[in-house]
Amino acid sequence: MSVHEREDRALRLQRVAELLAEAVTPQEVLDAILTEGVRAAEARAGAIGVLSPDRENIELLAQQGYPGPIMEDWGRFPVSAVLPMSRVVRTGEPLFVSTRRERNELFPELPAQARSGGAMVVLPLAVEGRVFGAMALSFEEEVEFGLERREMKIALARLASQNLARSQLYEEEQALRERMTFLAEASEILSSSLDYHHTLGKLARLAVPGLADWCTIDMAGKNGEIERLAVAHEDPEKVRWASELQERYPPNPDDPHGVPQVLRSGEPEFFPSIPAELLDEAIGDDLELRRIIDELGLRSSISVPLTARGRTFGALTLIAAESHPPFTEADFALATELARRAAVAVDNARLYSEAEKGANAAQALAHVADGVVLLDPDGVIRHWNPAAAAITGVDEELAVGRPVGDVVPSWATLTSHVPLSAPGERGAGPVTVPLVRDGRERWLAISGVDFGEGAVYALQDVTDEYALEKTRSDFVATASHELRTPLAAVYGAVRTLRREDVELSEEHRAAFLDMIESESLRLSKIVGQILLAGQLDADAVELSISECDPVQVASEVIESASVHLPEGILLGLSAEGARSIDCDEAKLKQVLVNLVDNAIKYSPDGGQVTIRLDQNGNGCLIEVADQGLGIPAEEQDRIFEKFYRLDPQQTKGVGGSGLGLYICRELVERMDGQLSVESEPGVGSRFQVALPTRR
Amino acid sequence: MSRGAGAGTRTETRRVLVVDDEQSIRLLCRVNLGASGIDVLEADDGESALELARREQPDLILLDVMMPGLDGWSVARELAEDERTRDIPVVFLTARAEASDRRRGAQLGGVGYLVKPFDPVGIGELVEDVLARIGRGEREELQRGIAAEHEQ
Repeated sequence: MSVHEREDRALRLQRVAELLAEAVTPQEVLDAILTEGVRAAEARAGAIGVLSPDRENIELLAQQGYPGPIMEDWGRFPVSAVLPMSRVVRTGEPLFVSTRRERNELFPELPAQARSGGAMVVLPLAVEGRVFGAMALSFEEEVEFGLERREMKIALARLASQNLARSQLYEEEQALRERMTFLAEASEILSSSLDYHHTLGKLARLAVPGLADWCTIDMAGKNGEIERLAVAHEDPEKVRWASELQERYPPNPDDPHGVPQVLRSGEPEFFPSIPAELLDEAIGDDLELRRIIDELGLRSSISVPLTARGRTFGALTLIAAESHPPFTEADFALATELARRAAVAVDNARLYSEAEKGANAAQALAHVADGVVLLDPDGVIRHWNPAAAAITGVDEELAVGRPVGDVVPSWATLTSHVPLSAPGERGAGPVTVPLVRDGRERWLAISGVDFGEGAVYALQDVTDEYALEKTRSDFVATASHELRTPLAAVYGAVRTLRREDVELSEEHRAAFLDMIESESLRLSKIVGQILLAGQLDADAVELSISECDPVQVASEVIESASVHLPEGILLGLSAEGARSIDCDEAKLKQVLVNLVDNAIKYSPDGGQVTIRLDQNGNGCLIEVADQGLGIPAEEQDRIFEKFYRLDPQQTKGVGGSGLGLYICRELVERMDGQLSVESEPGVGSRFQVALPTRR
Repeated sequence: MSRGAGAGTRTETRRVLVVDDEQSIRLLCRVNLGASGIDVLEADDGESALELARREQPDLILLDVMMPGLDGWSVARELAEDERTRDIPVVFLTARAEASDRRRGAQLGGVGYLVKPFDPVGIGELVEDVLARIGRGEREELQRGIAAEHEQ
C-alpha cells in the first residue's frame, strides 16, 4: 500500500471523526457512520444493530445501501442465529469475509439482499470491553483484507462505538433531564394549591402529550365506586369524547385489570404492549365498544396506585396510543415517581383540610355562646372556648393542658349529676347546677357527651333564666303559702271544734270560730288577688267609670283599716281641696286598701299612716304615707313588678303574694292615672296615686 | 303555756316547742297537743325559737318554714349545728309542699314533715309516735321517710 493511499485512508477516517464530533443525537451519529463511514471504508452498504435490553436479540437501528425492505424483514433477529452480526456479537471478534462463496457457506440463511456483491466485514460495537452491537459493511467486489485495511475498519468501528455510546448517553441524559424537568413542574403544580381536584387535573394535562397520549386520574369512592377525577389529551375534543365514554361504560370495580385492579391491590400495572386478549376480554361482544377501542389505538399502558400511609385512594394512568411510542421501564419509573409525589400532595391536602376543618370548628366554637369544654380521658382540658372562659372566669391560656379539677375546683361536684351520653344518643338533657364565682352564684346548665377518647361538656349560663324561674317558683311557694296557711287554720279549727274526746273551753271555742271567719276572709282576699292578676294579664278587667268622691273612698278605707289595727299604728286622713273624679270607685278603693295594708304591714314598729288628698293640677293626688321600714332606692322601681317581693331580711320577713303593688299600678294606669313611690329606708314611704279629674 | 321541770331532767310529760309566726297555727297546736297531755312551748319567730330550744330543751320541735327573719330552714340548720340542740327531733310543719322542699327538710335532719293544711287532731299521736320510734333507734328511717313521702 502506498504512502499516498495510507494518508488518504487516514484523512478519510479523520473526516468521519470530525463529522461524528458534530453529531449529537444517536440518529445523527448513525447517519454520519452510514454515509461518510461507509464511504470511507469504500463499502457498498452498511448496517448497525444493537443488542436488545434482554440481550437475546439484535435490533437493526439503521442501514444504508441495502436494497429492499431489510429493516422491515430483518429488523430483529436472535443473537443465537447463524448470521454475521449474531456471530460477532457472540464472539466479540471482528469478522472479515473476502469472498462471496466463503460468506454464503458460512451464513446460508443470510438475507437475499446481502447475498449479492462481494466481501463483507462485521465489526463488534463495544464500550469498555462490553459488546452492545455490531456494524456490518458490504462490498461490491471481493476484497483481500490486509492488515492496514483491517485496522482501518476496526478504527472506524471504534469511532462508531464511542460516538454511538456517547450519543446514547446524551440522549439518556436528555431524557433524564426532561423527566426531572417534568417532575419539577409536576411538583410545582402539586404544591401550588391545596385543592387537589384542581392540581391533579393540571398534572394530567401536564403529562400530555410529552409523557403519554392520554393521562387519567381515578379516585376510589367511599363505597368502592371509581370516580374519574381527571382525563387529559392534547385534543379537547377527544377529552370530551373520553368523558362520554366513561359515562357510557363506567368501570366495574371488580374488573380483573386496569384501574379497578390497581385500586384494589395497590400494585401497579404496566403493559409495554397491551395484549390483544386483554382488550377482547374488556370489550366482550360490544361492537360499538370495539369500534371505539380500535379507533383509540391503545398500544401501551401504565397504571400506578396513589398510596399514602398504606392506603390506596387513587390511580394514575398513562396510555400510549396514536402518537406516543410504547412505554419503557424509564417511563414506568417516571410514572411511579409521579404517582408517589401526587399521593403525598393529595394526602397533605386532605390532612390540611382535616386540620382546617378542626380549625374551622374551633373558630365556630369561638363564636358559640355556650361554653364548650373538651376533656381527655385523664380529665385534662383540651379545648376551652371563649364562652367557657367567660362563664368560668378562667382564660383559655390558663385552662388548656391543665386538669379541669385544678382550673375549676368544684368541677367534680358540678358535673357529678351530669349524665354523660354517648355520641349521637339523645342525652338526658342539661342539668342545672350552681357555680359560685367571685362570690356571685351563677347557674349553669351542663350537658355532656362521652366520645370514648374523652368527654365534651356544654355549659350554658342560665343565671338570668334561673332567676326568672326562681321568681316563678318563689311565687308558687308564696302563693301556696298564702293559700295553705289560712286554709290550715280554717280546716284545723273545724277539726278541733268537732273533737268529741276533748272538752273545749268557751274561750277556745270562740277563738276557733273567729279564726274560721278571719282566715276565710284572708283566703278569699288572696284568691281574689291571684284571679285579678290573671285578669289583668289577660286584659280582661272591666272598669266601670263614674263620678266619685275620693274623700269618701279614703274615709271608708281608713274606717275598715281601723278594725284589727295593730298596736302603735295611728291612722290619719287629710283632705284639702280634693274634688270629685271620674274613676272606678271599687277599684280605687281596692288600690287604697292595698296601699294602707302595706303601710301598716311595713311599719312593724308602729307609726303614723296617713291618707292625704290634694288637688294636682287638673287632677287629684292621693298619697298614702307611713313611717315604716322604707324601701331601698334600687328596689323602688322593682316593687311594682309582678311577683317581686322585698328581701324578707330587709322587711323583717313581712310576706305577701308579690301581687299587691303590681295590681295597684295596673289598676291606676287603667284609670289613666299614675302610681309612684318616694321612700327612704328607716324613715318611711309615700305612695302617690295621681288621677285625672275628668276624663 | 305549760311548763315541765327544769332543763336537763326528764319528766313523764312531753314538751313540744311550736314555732310559727301564725298565731292561729300555734293555738291549734297548743289545744290539740294539750289534749294529748303534751306540754307546749311557743315561739313566733326563728330567733326566739333557738333561744327557747337551748334553754328549755323540749322533747320535739314543730317548725314552720316561711317566717319573718330567720326562716325555718335556718333554724333547723342552727339547731343541728349547736350541740345543745342537735339531738332535739324536728318535725317541719309548713305550707311548702314540693318534693325539693321535702328533700331539704330531710337534709336538715328533720324527722317528720307535715304539710299545711294538716289535721291537728292527730298531731299528739304523731308526736308520740315519732318520739317512740326515735327511742327505738329509727331516727334515720324517719329522715329518709320525709323525702320519700308523697304530698298528702
